[in-house]
Amino acid sequence: MKRIFLPFLLLGLASSAHAQPENPAATVIAVPPLTSPDGGTRGNQMLQIGWDATQLIVADLRQTAEVMPLTPKRDDYYSYPEVTAPTFSKWRSAGAKALVTGFVQSRSDGRLTFGCYVYDVQKGREIARKGFVLTPGEWRRAAHKCSGLAYTAITGAPGIFDTQIAYVAESGVGEGRMRRIAVMDSDGYNHHYVTAGEAMVLSPRLAPKGGQLAYVSFAGGKPNVRILDLGSGQERPLVPATAITFAPRYSPDGSRIAFSMMLGSNSDIFIVGASGGSPRRLTTSPGVDTDPSFSPDGAKIVFESDRGGSQQLYVMNADGTAQRRISFGGGWYASPSWSPDGQWIAFTRRGQDGRRIGIVRPDGTGERLLTSGPGDEGPAWAASSREILFQRADTAGRSGLYRIALDGSEPRQMTIPQDGSNPDWSGVMD
Amino acid sequence: MPRTPALIVALALVASSASAQLPGLRKYTPADRQRQQQQQQPLLTGIDALRADFAAQSGATTVYFGSNSAILAPQAKTFLTAQAAWLRRHPDVVVRVEGYGDSGDTRDHALAMGAARAAESRDFLILLGVPTAQVSTTSWGKERPGLGRAVTVLVQ
Repeated sequence: MKRIFLPFLLLGLASSAHAQPENPAATVIAVPPLTSPDGGTRGNQMLQIGWDATQLIVADLRQTAEVMPLTPKRDDYYSYPEVTAPTFSKWRSAGAKALVTGFVQSRSDGRLTFGCYVYDVQKGREIARKGFVLTPGEWRRAAHKCSGLAYTAITGAPGIFDTQIAYVAESGVGEGRMRRIAVMDSDGYNHHYVTAGEAMVLSPRLAPKGGQLAYVSFAGGKPNVRILDLGSGQERPLVPATAITFAPRYSPDGSRIAFSMMLGSNSDIFIVGASGGSPRRLTTSPGVDTDPSFSPDGAKIVFESDRGGSQQLYVMNADGTAQRRISFGGGWYASPSWSPDGQWIAFTRRGQDGRRIGIVRPDGTGERLLTSGPGDEGPAWAASSREILFQRADTAGRSGLYRIALDGSEPRQMTIPQDGSNPDWSGVMD
Repeated sequence: MPRTPALIVALALVASSASAQLPGLRKYTPADRQRQQQQQQPLLTGIDALRADFAAQSGATTVYFGSNSAILAPQAKTFLTAQAAWLRRHPDVVVRVEGYGDSGDTRDHALAMGAARAAESRDFLILLGVPTAQVSTTSWGKERPGLGRAVTVLVQ
């Protein structure tokens, strides 16, 4: 269990993610070091994992606008009985309104039991708890789950810590530029490539329940949507079409995929079962209909169409009926994405000032631009519906991934090994 | 143009002789260089010869489109008409029309625009009597740089 190097990496990551200003309205939360009931050498190993997990929980919560963790001290040994019976007065005087405690215990089968508890310090009562059994190598996921438990208990929104990001990693220049699909945890860990780089790739879309990825590959000479099983590495075409297919998006329950298919010079939206079947056509207008995105209940689809002469956003039922335009703000609107809580549709607006990311209510009201452009596009929602991940190209044409919160703070660039584009952000993993 | 090693060596000698005259080394004159290049110029054969002939006879293998448009301009139709005449004379040659979107566009709309431009060009070729099996299409969207266009590429 040689994980001594991890805390240093972690601190580097935490400080880069810490650039956002402290929010005075944030709930202050104390996160004392996770403890262990074990003794001896085993106990020390468990305390080491506990300390690594503590720092990860703090780094997770520090990224949010709503929760502000106190900085934990490793020397503040926290006893096992205090996990379930905290001394609330001590945390009240430290200024905390909430408290996370936890423990790591070794099991006889070599795995670990990981316990996580969240308390309302003011009221002096427990508000959430969760336990996990996992291998020692999985401690990061347990810590992310614990961060999510605390975040959700305090804000009511899903946590984004145990989520994955997929994007197109780009390196090299010109026509020889290599593009591979990369998948990583939302904090940048477990970064790995899932395509080899021989063919151009676009538009990775993670299945809501994980395990699968839809993407566009040029391997067959023209763009086609493929489904990649992330476990086995096996893949298949989404539909056995000889036509160009692109812009795939899973339904929220993962059972269906909406996508675009070219019929001559006309692009229309189709829907097909995620495990196969014959596709059904949803739009028939001449021109380009593309970039479908489901509402969280799966009943509606927002998409872009240039049927009226310029790209605009339209909403329809998931069977293709009741199509109506919702964008009227001037300029061109593209690449819509429906928020997981159903409240907003994020979009890319093309105007005189370039491409910018904005949000609008599904009924077309409340439009607001979030970024300044000029090379922004491809918004993807965090599971919390409070943050958007997007692609920003600089004047030299290099592109990176940025996160922006809906509260109007400045976008923050994510640290990735190369240039990146086409991001997608998963829901909370099971 | 791929340069042969011999030419590169020759050019390197030219460069070094210009900076530092080595004793006993003959100085290359421009006429020498021209002769050398002509000797090194390989004769076009096979598909390269066909490609050169196709480009020369058609006037252009690339046709350009207005921003956010897949409508063929008169000049594009002139080039495609010449391309179609050449393709009818070479029924064994297979071509692929590769469409490109506009760089300021969003990704998927650009992909669709590139595909539409390729499809419009292909349809025009077919209208002029080129067999459908002879022409396929694809789109690079805005994933490769350059203006919105459709390029007819000989594939075999």
